[in-house]
Amino acid sequence: MEKMLPDEIVKQIRDVFKQLKHPVELLFFGSQARCEYCNEIQQLLEELIPLSGQLSLSIHDLEQEPDLARHYQVEGKAPAIVITAREGDQLTDYGIRYLGIPSGHEFTTLIQSILLVSGRDSGLNPQTRAYLKTLTTPLHLEVFVTPT
Amino acid sequence: MLLAYQMAMENPKMVLAEGVEAMEFQELSQQYGISGVPDTVINAAGRVVGAVPEQQMLAELIRTLGK
Repeated sequence: MEKMLPDEIVKQIRDVFKQLKHPVELLFFGSQARCEYCNEIQQLLEELIPLSGQLSLSIHDLEQEPDLARHYQVEGKAPAIVITAREGDQLTDYGIRYLGIPSGHEFTTLIQSILLVSGRDSGLNPQTRAYLKTLTTPLHLEVFVTPT
Repeated sequence: MLLAYQMAMENPKMVLAEGVEAMEFQELSQQYGISGVPDTVINAAGRVVGAVPEQQMLAELIRTLGK
């Protein structure tokens, strides 16, 4: 199978991934029922993971693993990538999801979000942190993007 | 999108941040009437169009959720 990531890009990503501080696991949710590009996304992630020893990947199917899909709130949302923090066998869900094909600019965002989770710190200013810590109602942020 | 992820990270029990690719999830983006990106939908009620600084996003959260 032809590689999706060109050698030059692989080199750049390897360099960036040297900054990874702590392990990160990506959970990829595909769907046999309805997901045109799932194979391509899975391949892309499988090429990305070996570029750092801090990264791991697990592959799931929405229809075959409905309980897990419900747990991660990705029901009916294939293709979905959940970016979690891993300590040993333990995964911490930070509520971070990417729904769709991570290509173009969004591929860069995926790399950045891996760095973010690996750092284990939001980097937000104290005022924002304080507000979010005291939330009494759930907050759902849907950020729409296009792969330009 | 990274800002939303940063916010989720701060309190993942209460915050869910989804980056949604509008082409792949057309129905959802049509439902919200997304025309430009990035466009952030807050609890299906608030809207922040464009990439905005942290302070402005926080102000929009407060406006949408109250307090």
